[in-house]
Amino acid sequence: MARTQGDADRGQERITDDNGIAVESALVGDSLELSYPTSEETVVDCARLDIPEEAVTALVGPNGSGKSTLLKALSNHLEPDAGTVRIHGSDLESFSQKELARELGVLSQENDSLSSISVEDLVYHGRYPYRGFFDGVSDEDHAAVERAIELAGIEALRDAELGQLSGGQKQLAWIAMVLAQDTDVLLLDEPTTFLDVHHQFRVLETIRQLNERKGVTVAVILHDISQAARFADYLVAMRDGELYDWGPPEEVVTEQLLADVFGVEATVEYEPELQVLPKRALSDR
Amino acid sequence: MAESQSVVDRATTRKREGWVTGTLVLFCLASMVVTIAAGLVQVSFGEYSMTFRQAWTAVFNPAVIFDLDAWSSFLFGTERPEMSTESVVVWNLRLPRVFVAIITGATLSVSGAVFQAVTRNELASPFVLGVSSGAGFAVLATLVVFSGLTPFLPLIAALGGTVAFAIVYTIAWKGGTSPVRLVLAGVIVNMVFQSLQQGLFFFADDLGVVQTAIAWITGSFTGTGWEEVRIAVLPAAVSIAIALAGARQLNVLMLGENTARSLGMRVERVRFFLSAVAILAASAAIAVAGVVSFFGLVVPHIVRNTVGGDYRRLMVGCVFAGPALMVTADVGARLALGGTQMPVGVVTGLIGGPYFLYLMRKQQSMGEL
Repeated sequence: MARTQGDADRGQERITDDNGIAVESALVGDSLELSYPTSEETVVDCARLDIPEEAVTALVGPNGSGKSTLLKALSNHLEPDAGTVRIHGSDLESFSQKELARELGVLSQENDSLSSISVEDLVYHGRYPYRGFFDGVSDEDHAAVERAIELAGIEALRDAELGQLSGGQKQLAWIAMVLAQDTDVLLLDEPTTFLDVHHQFRVLETIRQLNERKGVTVAVILHDISQAARFADYLVAMRDGELYDWGPPEEVVTEQLLADVFGVEATVEYEPELQVLPKRALSDR
Repeated sequence: MAESQSVVDRATTRKREGWVTGTLVLFCLASMVVTIAAGLVQVSFGEYSMTFRQAWTAVFNPAVIFDLDAWSSFLFGTERPEMSTESVVVWNLRLPRVFVAIITGATLSVSGAVFQAVTRNELASPFVLGVSSGAGFAVLATLVVFSGLTPFLPLIAALGGTVAFAIVYTIAWKGGTSPVRLVLAGVIVNMVFQSLQQGLFFFADDLGVVQTAIAWITGSFTGTGWEEVRIAVLPAAVSIAIALAGARQLNVLMLGENTARSLGMRVERVRFFLSAVAILAASAAIAVAGVVSFFGLVVPHIVRNTVGGDYRRLMVGCVFAGPALMVTADVGARLALGGTQMPVGVVTGLIGGPYFLYLMRKQQSMGEL
């Protein structure tokens, strides 16, 4: 029912997959204008943003292009000055905080370095939206936590304290916490930044598995355009708070985009697979 | 599905609620022993001299412990039944002071621990956040100017504490609060309320009132009796119970505001509610003992260093360690100088201050959790 309502709202362009079949959006941002309470200036102005259902969408763009701001609005951490965000067709505002946390998992960029908590305890906090003030842990909570730990591949770390872990292991632990929330939609803000290559892949593979095995919709901000181009089903490229382009990576990633959005001269190879080879910074930026 | 079933079994056999560690149990037992030992020392010494044996037999005198009339006189202020002199001295003069120390110790440390989580700031305490001085001013005003309102002291103290905390929070609020702004705002509000407290002295009629007031500003158990126990025990029990139940919320708050919100917590509402609980706890203590400095700040640190940062353990640890340290400090305050009694706040300030400096030197990251 939510879906038909979403369809009715959708007059504009529709995204299609490889076979030309229309793709539903799990999350839609409509005529969003975003700014922070501390300043007047509009940081993001975005007519329409679609996060397609059961796909991995990567948000890319240079620093300060408004990716994180947009993600904050999508996750109800920032109230838009104008416009609405809908998840499966219903306005975010219509959910209570806990209801929303059962639909939408969010991993913020800066996770404070709380050091004395064990990984397992951290993952159990992911069950918060399912528990009342006096509720204990249910069997369902156990199962969800075990699944999350297994999916993130951190069984060996479950009793370790967060402070003892490397940056990459910590990130996996945080991701497991979000996975324990058992949501259909997942928003991740730069989960791979500052990680070594091994853990970057561990994180991306976890996300990919989650998407393939459970059909979870993922929107993820990625710092590295070449990584994003290889990894994501859809790309959303942002520049100066506006949507520059969006669609499947093969269509979005061009030498023109790299010059316009990222200010680099690069070659893009499409065969045998999409590959971005940045060469040098363009001088006019 | 079979896989997830076996996973569930394994999880259940792991016994999830195992947050109670051996260290915690030992810590609590040790704290209890210290509390009891210090309490026994406290009841044994004083102007009416008794031997340890006499005092201890009086404490564990079954004729008093199992006498409902005696308890009703202690707790509800009814007529006191006939007792031996020893029993009167111990049960009516010295023990209530120990009980007041236990209540204040527990409430102040729990209050400090809650404030440290709510503000995500290791430097937070009822004192730093202005609650103590606000409550202090309210109580002082009651003692000096509106002496008829004395039975409602905890409520009045809570009111003063709430006003001060609200001012601090409002000053610090700027689309959210930061630890540093909170502490700075707290320092300023503290100064204002302390000036107000000092100003009140000029309204005091006689020297006796001034002396009581000073003892009271420094924090003192001198002359506390069953009446103080009666005043404080209910708000203390309620606030400690809620704080213990809210330990998981505090743990989630410690994950950071963004994460807590993503997990579905209405962060501002939870903060507000738990702050209210912490104010109530601090006010219960302040209403009967005055402003005991450094206690709410230092005890949570001691407990955290021993049992870890998990609030489920930390809270339980505070409930046991607070009384132990407070009763011990009061033994020092009452007996160390022989003839004269010091206010207990002097002792906690003299020990707590340097200990906190030592913690600051030892720990690299202080200030923000």
